[in-house]
Amino acid sequence: MIENLMAYLINKKLKIILISWLLVFSTSAAAHHVLGRPAYSLNEDSNTPPSMQVETQIGDYFVTYMVYPAFPKPGERGRVNVYASRIDNGDSYNGEMSFSVKDDVMFGDENPEFLGKQNIDDGVYRQGFVFKKNGKYVITARFESGGEPYIIDFPLQVGESGTMMPVLIALAIIIFLLMTVNVLQRRRLMREKIISERAEESSEE
Amino acid sequence: MTHPGLPEFWGMIVLGVMLVLSLLLVLNIKLPEIKTNKVKTSKVKNNYRIFILLVSAFKQNRWILMILKLITVTMFLLVIYAGLMGTPIPERNVATVMIWNIWWAGLIISIFFLGSAWCAICPWDTLASWHVKPKLWLLKLNNSLELTPPKWMRSVWPALIMFIGLTWLELGYGITTSPYATALLSLVMVLMAVSFMALYKNKAFCHYVCPVGRTIGFYSQLAPVEIRPLNQNTCDECKTLECFNGTDRVDACPTQLVMGRLTQNTYCTSCGNCVQSCPDNNVSWRLRAPSQEAIESARPHWDEAWFMLVLLTLTSFHGITMMEFWEEGLRGFAQVIGDSGQLLVSFTMGLILSMLIPVSLYALVVELTRRLSKQKVEFKKLFTSLVFVSLPLAFSYHLAHNLNHMIRESVGASQVFLNPLGTSVTYSGVADELLIKNSMLLSENTIFALQALLMIFGFWIAIKVLKRRSALLLSQTGLNVLPVLLFMLAVNGFHLWMLMQPMVMRIGALCVVPTAL
Repeated sequence: MIENLMAYLINKKLKIILISWLLVFSTSAAAHHVLGRPAYSLNEDSNTPPSMQVETQIGDYFVTYMVYPAFPKPGERGRVNVYASRIDNGDSYNGEMSFSVKDDVMFGDENPEFLGKQNIDDGVYRQGFVFKKNGKYVITARFESGGEPYIIDFPLQVGESGTMMPVLIALAIIIFLLMTVNVLQRRRLMREKIISERAEESSEE
Repeated sequence: MTHPGLPEFWGMIVLGVMLVLSLLLVLNIKLPEIKTNKVKTSKVKNNYRIFILLVSAFKQNRWILMILKLITVTMFLLVIYAGLMGTPIPERNVATVMIWNIWWAGLIISIFFLGSAWCAICPWDTLASWHVKPKLWLLKLNNSLELTPPKWMRSVWPALIMFIGLTWLELGYGITTSPYATALLSLVMVLMAVSFMALYKNKAFCHYVCPVGRTIGFYSQLAPVEIRPLNQNTCDECKTLECFNGTDRVDACPTQLVMGRLTQNTYCTSCGNCVQSCPDNNVSWRLRAPSQEAIESARPHWDEAWFMLVLLTLTSFHGITMMEFWEEGLRGFAQVIGDSGQLLVSFTMGLILSMLIPVSLYALVVELTRRLSKQKVEFKKLFTSLVFVSLPLAFSYHLAHNLNHMIRESVGASQVFLNPLGTSVTYSGVADELLIKNSMLLSENTIFALQALLMIFGFWIAIKVLKRRSALLLSQTGLNVLPVLLFMLAVNGFHLWMLMQPMVMRIGALCVVPTAL
């Protein structure tokens, strides 16, 4: 019985380790959220309005990804430029590349929308876009090489998309916490009162 | 964009002084003495009249502290609002500018002059106190369960883990380039401060968990100010311990310090409760010789030793990540392990390695010193005692590094305050670079000279610490402490080399150029 239980636990532990390992090391051929210091920067060298640029590597490719302008407004035309070259020999990828866009939401339906399929033009893939509404979006570029899919996600903010929701959540947590503490305090005081009253009664007896 | 590094001329001067000081130590030649902190009050009064006036003003008028708290809380709420609602361009949003360019860089510089004064006006703690233990005139409410923190928490390990986590967020995740993430982090810190205050007695968050507070605390060992008894005998005879227990009017010490037995600033939050509550008016802020604690009076503890050591490694790591070679190395490493995207796995491994190498080196150095010593001293005891040499090395490099950030990157900050949300502005590239060079608060040569002086100062203090601590523990100095001396030379030499390299800017220029988009 114990042996079976141990075997089950070890088996389960191994599964967890295997899944964790796969999650960590399988990212090179899966979707990538590219946001943050090592890979993302405003392009400083341009005389035109700024672009948001990503330089990253995915699988066998080194990818440069540029969104122009960096923070488009609703109704303003924008463009994504992608350049992919092999890490081993520097050859450019020259097959088809497709682009889609979805809402950048943490939970719920992402509603992806197809933007277009592009061929290489002067070493670069170009995809235009116009957003009607403010918001946070994720533009996805996909291509296939060596029988493997390559998916690159790029976050894009259109217009002002501020929200005070985190403050409201923080306030709700604080209120809940303080109310819980208050209830616990009252119960503790009540308990102490009952104990002391009982002690008094027993001493009187 | 990068900042120019320290010129070779200054580098050579620092290196020369480092070698001379090392030689003096090895040859056992007497180093210039630092005055002890036992300075007579009357002498202090004569010499530092302005300081005494300031201290008296604070002692008599608690509303000054309240006004300062109100200012920091207002600024903090502005950071959260601007971070959530303002522009995502980091150098245009007051959230990222205020937190990473001004506060985070300036905080370390403030310790050099004011010790742990920041903790007294910290908005995280102030907001937590207003929520959990509000005071409305004579009405004092207490919404805390007042539990005793569990034993595992009563050390600086939680703060150490938080500090590593904060460094990961700052340099790995790139929170410094995201106003939104900066605002979220600010909210999380307030939530933590409120939760700990609601659950535990005193200020468990400040005492055990806050990475900023503990960093300030350890660096404050090198500060020129302290809160101490004016007359030790009065404290020795005291039976009521108002400083520890508090009074009807004044709260108890939030980090449970007894003034009569206080030997180090590490856990003092400069709240001034002890100054207010002492019935004999025997407690006050006073000036002292900087670094006295690190040299002699601070007591070694295992968890604190690790905090100091990791503080040194992470301070160096901050510098490393702003070098041009770091990005290249990170990419190369990522290619080897197949990492992609934001390279967080590669960064995490780089961070771990950057901590492991100096820590292992230090452990090796301690073991070598132990073997060279004629006295039989436990490894742990030597490890915790000699680790104080890391404090001045970390602090001086931290100061020199942050000075660069603060002076060069805060150009145009006032314009960001005029438009805190950064609406209708954008990056202006080359124009910003030119404006930065011409509008710095200090000239470039002054910055270089100050950086060089700081590096010399740090090494000098470290030598004094090593000499004193090794004499106390091993009854010997000179060649017997050569391994630790070589460690210090290697660390400070590496810091100096990093200062001499071009440094990548934290979040770019702040000069605002409105554009019609």
